[in-house]
Amino acid sequence: MLFHSQPFVLGFLPACLAGCFLLGRFAGRTATLAWLLLASLFFYGWWNPPFLLLLLGSTAGNYVLGQHLLHLSRANRRHAARGWLTAGIAANLTLLAVFKYADFLLHIAAPDAPALGIFLPLAISFFTFQQIMFLADSARQDRTDTGPLTYATFVAFFPHLIAGPIVRPKDIVPQLQQRALAPNADNIADGAMLFLLGLAKKLVLADTFGGFADTGFNAAASGAHLTLFEAWYAVLAYSLQIYFDFSGYSDMAIGLARMLNVRFPLNFASPYQSRNIAEFWRRWHITLGAFLRDYVYIPLGGSRCSTLRQSMNLMGTMLLCGLWHGAAWRFVIWGGLHGLYLVAHRHSPITLPRLLAQSLTLLAVIVAWVPFRATTSAAAWNMLAGMAGIHGIALPQMIVHALPVLAWIATPVEVLPWLGDARTLSFPEVSACLLLGWGIVLLLPHVHALSERARIWALTSSFAFSMQAMFFAPHVAPFLYFRF
Amino acid sequence: MQEEPSRPARWWRRVPHSIVRPVAACAASILLYVACFGAILDRPLSFGWLRHELDARLARGAAIEEPKLVILAGSNGPYSHRCEIIGPLLHRPCVNAGVAVGIGLDYLFARWRPLLHPGDVVYMPMEEAQYVRDRAANALGPDAAIMLRHDRATLARLPPRRWLGALFAYDLRGALMAAIETALAAGGFHDPRAAVDGKSNAMGDHIGHTATLALANAPALQSATPYHPTASQIRTGDGSELIASFLDWAHAHGVTVIGGLPTGFDDSPIPAATVAAIRAIYARHDASFLELPNRSRYPRSAFFDTADHLNETWQAVHSIAVARGLAPLVDTRPQVMTANAACRIEQVPEASVYADCGR
Repeated sequence: MLFHSQPFVLGFLPACLAGCFLLGRFAGRTATLAWLLLASLFFYGWWNPPFLLLLLGSTAGNYVLGQHLLHLSRANRRHAARGWLTAGIAANLTLLAVFKYADFLLHIAAPDAPALGIFLPLAISFFTFQQIMFLADSARQDRTDTGPLTYATFVAFFPHLIAGPIVRPKDIVPQLQQRALAPNADNIADGAMLFLLGLAKKLVLADTFGGFADTGFNAAASGAHLTLFEAWYAVLAYSLQIYFDFSGYSDMAIGLARMLNVRFPLNFASPYQSRNIAEFWRRWHITLGAFLRDYVYIPLGGSRCSTLRQSMNLMGTMLLCGLWHGAAWRFVIWGGLHGLYLVAHRHSPITLPRLLAQSLTLLAVIVAWVPFRATTSAAAWNMLAGMAGIHGIALPQMIVHALPVLAWIATPVEVLPWLGDARTLSFPEVSACLLLGWGIVLLLPHVHALSERARIWALTSSFAFSMQAMFFAPHVAPFLYFRF
Repeated sequence: MQEEPSRPARWWRRVPHSIVRPVAACAASILLYVACFGAILDRPLSFGWLRHELDARLARGAAIEEPKLVILAGSNGPYSHRCEIIGPLLHRPCVNAGVAVGIGLDYLFARWRPLLHPGDVVYMPMEEAQYVRDRAANALGPDAAIMLRHDRATLARLPPRRWLGALFAYDLRGALMAAIETALAAGGFHDPRAAVDGKSNAMGDHIGHTATLALANAPALQSATPYHPTASQIRTGDGSELIASFLDWAHAHGVTVIGGLPTGFDDSPIPAATVAAIRAIYARHDASFLELPNRSRYPRSAFFDTADHLNETWQAVHSIAVARGLAPLVDTRPQVMTANAACRIEQVPEASVYADCGR
């Protein structure tokens, strides 16, 4: 079930909230948690019921192991705890490898072997990482004791189950343990507002830019030679699509949890306004960045080692980050590019002026989205060649006619075939949309930093378009991060 | 002095402000949206052009008193068929009534029904996409916004779901384009389409989309991959349902309907099962069906910019073939062609493969 689908908004969400609040008021915490767990399992099973067994099995196994680890570490049996922790992490990663990376690894080992075609269970990357955190926190005694019902509710909690944010057990479990879920008007209003603004980001903005990006990237994949503006517009559109899609999903998740009196951490904080790549990673997918820092980079030695080792740690962490996004080389290349950026930034002695630094960071991030989005390396090179102007510069006749000076650099054409709907007015249409999108991400604060008055204005200007997209648009695209 | 008993607070006054504000914002958003797109914003260039084209064809249809031929389709109608040729060959005044594939069939039928009379013939070489276009897409076509602003009488005759669709027809792109088009129109925007794309004649035919102009679209035509729905999609398509209902109406009102196939690339034939499914719709509802020997397939070089649009030369060739095919179905002998208009347009040696042009 998708957050932006009609069954979720009109059926599941009201029923789940009503059940939680009624049970919270009349039946107590255990019954409320049980209801929330059942609702979350229903939410997950709606997509593919057999994979509920995987989720439940993984949850049960990790809970038992986590309790054992907590017991061992409390008994100061650190060696045993370390052994069990290693085994636990290995088991989780094996599960992930089987479902997500088997074909990828097989293709590396035996390129000619037929694909295994194993179906990727929804959200496996997210719930696996969260349970690895649970095991690690158990071994460090960095969590409170918890019962199986609370733990299962934490893992399956529907706001974060499918695509994050990747929340730490020690942050969420105490909130679930605290008290029964009584309705709180302020939380419901805040949560609903965040949910609706996230919905607008996804349905109104991300899906609009997704259409433009698909046109360009599909053309590049089919071997078409995109000219400068076609290529840049497609990449700029994709950069906006992925930001609005994922940050919109995160806002919706944070809003849903808030309605249930649970606070999730921020996941996006205007990342495209970053002045360097390290800052970008403190603002983009913050919870994944924190996970990788705390559970991969620091255990590898972090910054407290030689320069060479630091660089290797950064590269290793970012390659893993890329691989986490999907079992394909293009994600590894994307992670590797970001690793290189981070290493270069770490060791660069130059301090650039603010605007130049921000522009350079943005350019680096945008260029890295090309291999991430392109389905093949040929398509990625094709797109990069277009961005470099190797396939020429073309502009619609009406633009050249209006600004004749452009004829010096651009060939006038009737329409640009790989831009928007390839109509006479597609160029101003896509330009206006991109201007709006980049204006929002570069000039405005993120939703969580907006004043209440600004949020009300944002809701007033977006709600009708969200409803239009949800109830009348013929096609609604799924979230991009569902694939990861 | 006796105190009045205090009245219990109205229930809405007990609702916390934190809840009231977002609810009010949502309500205001809907009201603003409906007011803006229902009464203020418009798309004078794109939808304005479509409206003008539709109205011109309807006006010609209304002006003809004798039994006429109406070609009803999407843009395949005016680009690939020429009333200027077909009409004289069938001894009937002709209107090329198609404008764009995105115009809702229910809207098109609703506009044309009052203008069709017993003895009229409607030829329908509908694009494949029109059979399978779902209700949601149909409700948001350009006709939705056109009806909301300029043709509420037709909107009122359509089902309530179409009213809602028309009220919510604008997405973000549409909203931005409304602002852009309004500004361009106010600034005296010169529409470049006629120079690069041709224009419409009085019968509704698209003219001037020559083979020379088509050269600019050759790379796109070469890489185009036509869409063919399956037979099952045709059978269950919402468009098929609308067409079937129109066929029933036509049969009941003495209007002859003849189905047909849209033009397309000869290297991408419509699957036989899909053709059979299309033909069956017409057969089930007492309508004839014209299937040319080449199933309206032509080489890519015969097209203008898409698989639905022949260039002008081949439009003439196809029109002759269609007229010959329609002749026995409309019960009128085709005229023996001498040096006809079609062949004067441009000499095409390959055309003899498809039609005995000039013989």
